[in-house]
Amino acid sequence: MTDVIVVGAGVVGSAVAYYCAKRGLSVTLIDQPKRGRATSASAGGLWPLGESLGIGCGVILARNSPGTPSPPPLPREFLEFALASNAMFPPLADELREKSGIDIEFERSSLLYLMYDETDEAYAERLLSGHPDLRGHIEQLSAAEVAAAEPALTRRLRGALRFVGDDQVNPYRTADALRGAARACGARVMTHTEVLGLVVEGGRVAGVETRAGRIGGGVVVNAAGAWAPEIARTAGIDLPVHPVRGQILASEALPELLHACISTSDCYLAQKAHGEIIAGSTTEKAGFDASVTPDAMRGIARGAVRALPALADVTVKRAWSGFRPGTPDELPILGPVDGVPGYLNACGHFRTGILTAPLTGLLLAEIAAGVPPSHPVGPYLFARFAEASTRPLNPP
Amino acid sequence: MGVRPLVIVGGGPAGVAAAIEAARAGLRPTLIDEAGGLGGQIYRPLPEGFTVRDARALGKDFRRGEELRARFATVASSVDLLLGVAVLGIWEGRRLLCEGGEIEAERLILATGASDRPVPFPGWTLPGVLTAGGAQAIVKTMRVVPGRRALVAGTGPLLPVVALQLHRAGVEVVAVLEAGRPPPLLASLPHVWREWGLLRDAWDLWRGLRRARIPLLFGHTVFEAAGAGEVERAVYGPVDPADWRPRRDGAKSVDVDLVVTGFGFVPNTELSLLAGCDHEHAHELGGFVPVRDACMRTSVRHVLAAGDGSGVAGALVAIEEGSIAGITAAEDAGMLDAAEAARRRARPLRRLRSLSGVRRVLDAMSRIRPGLVELATPETVVCRCEEVLLSEVFTAFGRGAKDLQALKLMTRLGMGPCQGRNCGPSASAICCKELGITPESAGRIEPRPPVKPVTFGALAGDGE
Repeated sequence: MTDVIVVGAGVVGSAVAYYCAKRGLSVTLIDQPKRGRATSASAGGLWPLGESLGIGCGVILARNSPGTPSPPPLPREFLEFALASNAMFPPLADELREKSGIDIEFERSSLLYLMYDETDEAYAERLLSGHPDLRGHIEQLSAAEVAAAEPALTRRLRGALRFVGDDQVNPYRTADALRGAARACGARVMTHTEVLGLVVEGGRVAGVETRAGRIGGGVVVNAAGAWAPEIARTAGIDLPVHPVRGQILASEALPELLHACISTSDCYLAQKAHGEIIAGSTTEKAGFDASVTPDAMRGIARGAVRALPALADVTVKRAWSGFRPGTPDELPILGPVDGVPGYLNACGHFRTGILTAPLTGLLLAEIAAGVPPSHPVGPYLFARFAEASTRPLNPP
Repeated sequence: MGVRPLVIVGGGPAGVAAAIEAARAGLRPTLIDEAGGLGGQIYRPLPEGFTVRDARALGKDFRRGEELRARFATVASSVDLLLGVAVLGIWEGRRLLCEGGEIEAERLILATGASDRPVPFPGWTLPGVLTAGGAQAIVKTMRVVPGRRALVAGTGPLLPVVALQLHRAGVEVVAVLEAGRPPPLLASLPHVWREWGLLRDAWDLWRGLRRARIPLLFGHTVFEAAGAGEVERAVYGPVDPADWRPRRDGAKSVDVDLVVTGFGFVPNTELSLLAGCDHEHAHELGGFVPVRDACMRTSVRHVLAAGDGSGVAGALVAIEEGSIAGITAAEDAGMLDAAEAARRRARPLRRLRSLSGVRRVLDAMSRIRPGLVELATPETVVCRCEEVLLSEVFTAFGRGAKDLQALKLMTRLGMGPCQGRNCGPSASAICCKELGITPESAGRIEPRPPVKPVTFGALAGDGE
């Protein structure tokens, strides 16, 4: 018997386990490695502004399907959520280094949105005029200023927007460090253990059934990413989470070519501490097909070379893909579900799982401990899906 | 590049033999190889501009390679040859992304060959340590001498071959260390008597070593290569006969500037995995191999596999498997009726059965034993691309890693340019030994396209 069972040890589940264990709750974190887990296919961008405003994968989505409007910016409250989580990273990086011995490679890079043509400029203009309150976080750079700041970038630019505070970490190390720190705080981590379903007893979720047997817990947190619906279904919850494939390419390790993360209308680029440049990404519905496609590889490579011409002669080390856990409104699903005591959601993080993991972890730990959450979770409750359904749990 | 009736990936013995049989049957093959010439690693042709003054000096493999190329020349006009082209990935079973474009294949034969199996030991990444395949490529192809005084260690019949090639090139070979025990002569005879030619080869090798005064030590291997910046000496000694763990109390040191290791080969399965073929782990075939029927068909429709890439068994087996695959592809394409195809397959199938006896004897001697992983110390690099130490692998085990995929995420092992080709097999052996698991549950470092190095520019299609 454990206070909290967390299903899924990606970055979100590991963060939930860490913050729960740090509060003194007894925690069991259970994970079965899956092909296409989103944490492993992330570039590690912490881009609260970029992602909330539709820069990043969203821009590519808009360009790839002509005729469709640009993706609507995410609601203001999500920007607040993302900014609050982002602000947790600098102290968290120190905390995790101390507790787990792992450096998550937090880097104050900022994010540059490159403007190639009038369409890009118009997009930027709309963005700036639509968010006058964010002016303080967004710098406008002329072509000459971009060239001075990032000499390796193409000169065929009209200019750029710099999102100050949109930084980066190493995504695997972040998950690793959270897991390690959770363990250091007493959490039990069961890797390579498949959760078969939730145990429903006496009208509440009372644990999980695993390949290694039944584990009882006071509360079960579903942090199974794109696979969360499979877990929820066993307690009669129909989660509207679906896999959204993203493909990315990694270069061989290079000397420092980029200082900032780069977003353009056809790709994003992030040079990691190790020297690799990650180039992404696609936004596709392909079920659980974790392959990469020649068209996407070519498309991303083309976008990457356009932004950073030196990449033309750089070796592509590998291409791979992962499944963002997508939701209908692109917002995470957090917290309790009406009529299903003992169950908490921590899923549906779509493009921002790395970024919003710390705040998700903190809030879920507060809810699990019965403390009022320190940031509003109302907008992220499962109850927001009017048509969403739950079957009543088996009567006792 | 359009739809092609048959695409053969790999121009080594298996691929060339497959092309010959398919072309003979009237099915026009497209033969792709990343190298500039046919023959693969074992029958690698000499670079352009080299002239051969004495073919005998170049050895049997050179002659066999020339014979294969001569047979190929008789059908060459019926084959589309794409040399110097790397296949980067496979989609939907038979769509190939190559440097320079996409090829769609109605039928596909994968003849991708094998790579040296690296075994990490202290000092194995020093300049002056070469794999047997690497040393051969330098001596055989480039005619360059890689050192002055060499120790050759590992297992299998390639060791004496390499030792004699080095010797003839002027390198002093201080010893050949075979980790296995000599095959019991009488018990082996029933398995090998039909392969008289191979027995002759073995005899010639043994006599060659004797004449060259190169000692052959069974039950020994290299423990360490050491030196300041390059190999200056090697430590070697006996291994436990059962599991080949080093018996360090018997260690000796010898001054050498070259250590050549050959612990067999690992099938190159990147493309068969990307094609979606079912694989199984077969220790005696070098690791994970595609599941095939006797006619070389894999589990994916119209995808066949032949040669060392689908199970390491050497060039002679590869030629027969390639022939069978070529005949089967032609049969499946309707170019041969069932009876004619069976008739054409009969001879290579017979030869395969005969060779399998030899394989059993060699396997008894050379099957990689688990104690070899004890050669590495905590400070030994196990993934050279990412410079991951064995101690870091142990730390990852402590953090819950129980397979190669988890090791990769936690340590970066296998994340480098070789995509785990070099460290995967030994990391798998370490997992199996330390965690007491099977190779199946240790799993693989999954291949990711591009499986061969390609630049962003080439992928993007420069000039568009």
